[in-house]
Amino acid sequence: MREARMYAPAAKAWSPYAAGVVIGLLQIPAFLLIDTALGASSSYVTVSGHLAAIADPGIKAIKYVARHLEGAKNWWQVAVVVGIALGALLSSRLSGTARSAPSPVWQRAIGRHAPPTRFAMAFAGGFLMLLGARIADGCTSGHGISGSAQLAIGSFIAVAAMFGGAMLTAQFLRRV
Amino acid sequence: MTTLSAILVGLAMGAVFGFALEKSRVFEPGVIVGQMQLRSFIMLKVFLTAVATGLVVLAALHGFGFAKLFPKATIFGADIVGGLVLGAGITLAGACPGTVLAQIGAGYRDAWFTLIGGLAGALTFSYLEPALNPILLSGGPGRLTLNGVFGVPFWPLALGFAALLVAGLVALERWRPWRSEMGENYDGLLPPAQPAPLVGAGRRQPA
Repeated sequence: MREARMYAPAAKAWSPYAAGVVIGLLQIPAFLLIDTALGASSSYVTVSGHLAAIADPGIKAIKYVARHLEGAKNWWQVAVVVGIALGALLSSRLSGTARSAPSPVWQRAIGRHAPPTRFAMAFAGGFLMLLGARIADGCTSGHGISGSAQLAIGSFIAVAAMFGGAMLTAQFLRRV
Repeated sequence: MTTLSAILVGLAMGAVFGFALEKSRVFEPGVIVGQMQLRSFIMLKVFLTAVATGLVVLAALHGFGFAKLFPKATIFGADIVGGLVLGAGITLAGACPGTVLAQIGAGYRDAWFTLIGGLAGALTFSYLEPALNPILLSGGPGRLTLNGVFGVPFWPLALGFAALLVAGLVALERWRPWRSEMGENYDGLLPPAQPAPLVGAGRRQPA
């Protein structure tokens, strides 16, 4: 913020409120152009389903998988998550905040610096994240941002459980 | 809309999403773990602002008849169990299913493991879905919404709820200004709080 004007593309940080408004405004193209709400986690079913089908074509017989494999909405969401990586890449290069090694928060949280420990933890975290998101039928985006904005009771419950599970798990980490 | 144009729209929307996630620093593991230990509130600020904005947007789009809504069905067991497991994963990964891609874009190497773990988790669920469906993923009261329960139109309730969130955010910002939570390296890590001196205990060296 010292280096660049607020809200300049090269600023290292924007206010969380500006960023939140931008994210919330994305519901306009989602609802008007794609006829759906912003979400992220079902794209993992689309991508993993296609990858698994190479080794196990029988997976397409699972109805849940079949309805995630094709169609404009499924590929739209895959494109959104790919776009997230591109947008973050651009933003971090413009502001000089590119990262490489795991965040120093992990050394504080688990008291270890060995990357394999962190890699295993990241894998386990990712696994639980998507297993849970698919059980709940939505993640921080689908239930959190979009479900809450549609006043869906199930989304309020899922968001409360999500923050509850996350806060409980954080108690097992060292204080950061 | 054709699949190709949906993909192009998705890429553009995702790029804006990722840009905003990176600029807000909410994709930082330090910010996410910090939120779950109630030491940082950036994640809550971004999240609640996005919800409030979405409420206003949808109040307008739905109120004027430009869009129909897609609230997810309420399935109590699935929402609670899934949410808890998802939450545990969020803390261990230091990411959400969307923000992990922002971590990859920003260069965090461990985020690739989160992504691969996520694909494995989604695939595991896909294989389990036929068995889980009758016991955990079905039943419930259907597409329950707050406006449906109160029997009122969507838009006034959405605007009222948005106003409540904005009031909460104003209070949150007064209590904890966002600039104080960024950290020197914009990763949400603040200098560790000085531990209270313990009588007779050796001084713990920072790791």
